[in-house]
Amino acid sequence: MLEVRALNCERNDRLLFRDLSFTLEAGQALQVKGGNGSGKTTLLRIICGLNDSYSGELFWHGAPLGERRDAFYAGLLYIGHRVAVNRVLTPLENLRWSSRLRNPADDGPINEALVHIGLAGHEDSPCHSLSAGQYQRVSLARLFLRGAGLWVLDEPFTTLDTHGVTLLENLVTRHTESGGAVLITTHHKLSLPGLRALTLGVAR
Amino acid sequence: MSGTNIGTAFLATLKRDLLISLKRRNDILNPFMFFIIVVSLFPIGVSPESAMLRQIAAGVIWIAVLLASMLSMDSLYRSDYEDGTLEQLLLSSVPLYLLVFAKNIAHWLVSGLPVILVSPLLAYMLALPSEGYMTLVASLLLGTPVVGMLGSIAVALTVGLGSRGLILAVITVPMSVPVLIFGTLAVQNALAGGSPLGYLALLGAMLALTISLAPLATAAALRISMN
Amino acid sequence: MAGRWQWFHRLGSPKWFYEKTTRWLPWLWGAMALFLTVGLVWALLFLPEDYQQGHTSRILVVHVAVAGTSLSFFPLMAVAGTVTLVWRMKLADMVAKNAAPLGAWFSFLTLATGSIWGSVSWGTWWEWTDSRLVSMLFQFFLLLGVISLRAAIENAETAARACALLSIVGCINVVVIKYSVDWWNTLHQPSSPISMEVGSPNGPEFWVATVVMIVAVYLFLAVSLILATRNEILQRESRAQWVRELALEAR
Repeated sequence: MLEVRALNCERNDRLLFRDLSFTLEAGQALQVKGGNGSGKTTLLRIICGLNDSYSGELFWHGAPLGERRDAFYAGLLYIGHRVAVNRVLTPLENLRWSSRLRNPADDGPINEALVHIGLAGHEDSPCHSLSAGQYQRVSLARLFLRGAGLWVLDEPFTTLDTHGVTLLENLVTRHTESGGAVLITTHHKLSLPGLRALTLGVAR
Repeated sequence: MSGTNIGTAFLATLKRDLLISLKRRNDILNPFMFFIIVVSLFPIGVSPESAMLRQIAAGVIWIAVLLASMLSMDSLYRSDYEDGTLEQLLLSSVPLYLLVFAKNIAHWLVSGLPVILVSPLLAYMLALPSEGYMTLVASLLLGTPVVGMLGSIAVALTVGLGSRGLILAVITVPMSVPVLIFGTLAVQNALAGGSPLGYLALLGAMLALTISLAPLATAAALRISMN
Repeated sequence: MAGRWQWFHRLGSPKWFYEKTTRWLPWLWGAMALFLTVGLVWALLFLPEDYQQGHTSRILVVHVAVAGTSLSFFPLMAVAGTVTLVWRMKLADMVAKNAAPLGAWFSFLTLATGSIWGSVSWGTWWEWTDSRLVSMLFQFFLLLGVISLRAAIENAETAARACALLSIVGCINVVVIKYSVDWWNTLHQPSSPISMEVGSPNGPEFWVATVVMIVAVYLFLAVSLILATRNEILQRESRAQWVRELALEAR
């Protein structure tokens, strides 16, 4: 599905990683590990095309990623450090927009997703009134809504309670079992079957 | 990506921004009040004589519009940058410049349009002869989107910076000079009994040029700033 | 890579640029000194006194040369910006970075020499009805905008690309400003009694002196830009082997 070949990245004259290669196939989950400043977020942003200060090659289903950006974006769901949830809008309004950015969408599935993620009853309260964990859950509700093949999740666990962690782990498992792929950064110890790990920053 | 999907994404972004503006009325109301206050300073600072005021009326209103738009512009991408929405815009398979254009339209509807609607009233207070009203409104209708979209480029370039308010003005105000020139010339020409159509046509040409180029430049600027 | 485009890629190498300019610089210095001396001596000593303006017309030789040169900064920065954005050539940005303050200085000098000349010929230091002064003023402002944007962005690569984009937008804008200011002016002052036209009353000797001066100022621009760029190269490439060797040699 996704292949990274000989990736080098420098930031502010400091080498983050050199000659990094890995592949991510359908049905796999890959956890990117490493200490603070080891380049986990940078790696994810490079793969998503948000950062282009690198050398090396990226492939999407066998073809250079740069040549099929549209197909890649259509099959990508990225939830970054900053989760793209506007604070003055309600969860429902936020999800309406992020769904329609991709496809025409009805409120039905969005409401369902909010129930699944544990935000029932909060659909219409502005997001700034939610707790940090609930705020993060708004963004995670997107995982129910899009048939994206590749999930790229940057530290999705930071503010979640134990229940939320289990919920997300189950979601990831279900996604990989149904042929999706997941790229995830976290310091948590994940209990996922078949999880692979990539550790950055050990070479130095 | 099919046409309907692009249309959906465009409208969704437009609606979202309008909704946010509606919920954050202060971001819109303060520049609007600023506009009215700046205009009302001129009779006090320059001269209360209507003979003097009518000469400078069009220029005063146009300059106040420029200054007020600098204030309102600041919020254009700030919260989207801070909460990560910009990243999602960049990762959409809809062309970024279309989404940027949708945001520009939403911003103009809440910041440009109110100013234009109130401008005849202010023109009256500045003793602008009534022959000038229509031309003033027309020049603002054509000119304010140009200023907004030029500003949008500058906001996109400075979106990640801590203190950017002044840089924004330093970059954008000189760029808006041609709009100011033709906007005020159109009104003056109408007052002198001539036809303002030539100048309005020039403003229209600038608007067409800006619509076709500025969203592309803003999109490029956002990609640079997000890197 | 061999063949037609090789020069282009070599040009992108700071080391190549540094070595080449080490050889070019003495020649450029020499040519600049020659043209500057000839131009200045001619303008100050041999140029016949203008029948209307007297000795003040001599300032024009410098003013016209500086003004002409300062018009080339935005196109230069726009081209360098395009190269930065499309080919990611670091050298192009090093040139662009130093071109902006230099351009601001040249614009300022144009305004200053214009004012000095105007103070004698027009009787005023500043004249809004001269469209060239006004559009030069706004070019000056736009260049200050590019400089302050560069200063505001901490990450060097982001700053390079942001300034590149702004230079391209600014270049288009300068042209629009120039024409709109011209238009504005002819309308405000249909028959301008004061004009900087340096046409008929001045014979060919005036033009030759001006051309010599223009060449001299362009050479000065080239030398300053090359020197500044070399400085920039040494700073940015300070970790490179060849720069270290260079530093050891100098010691």
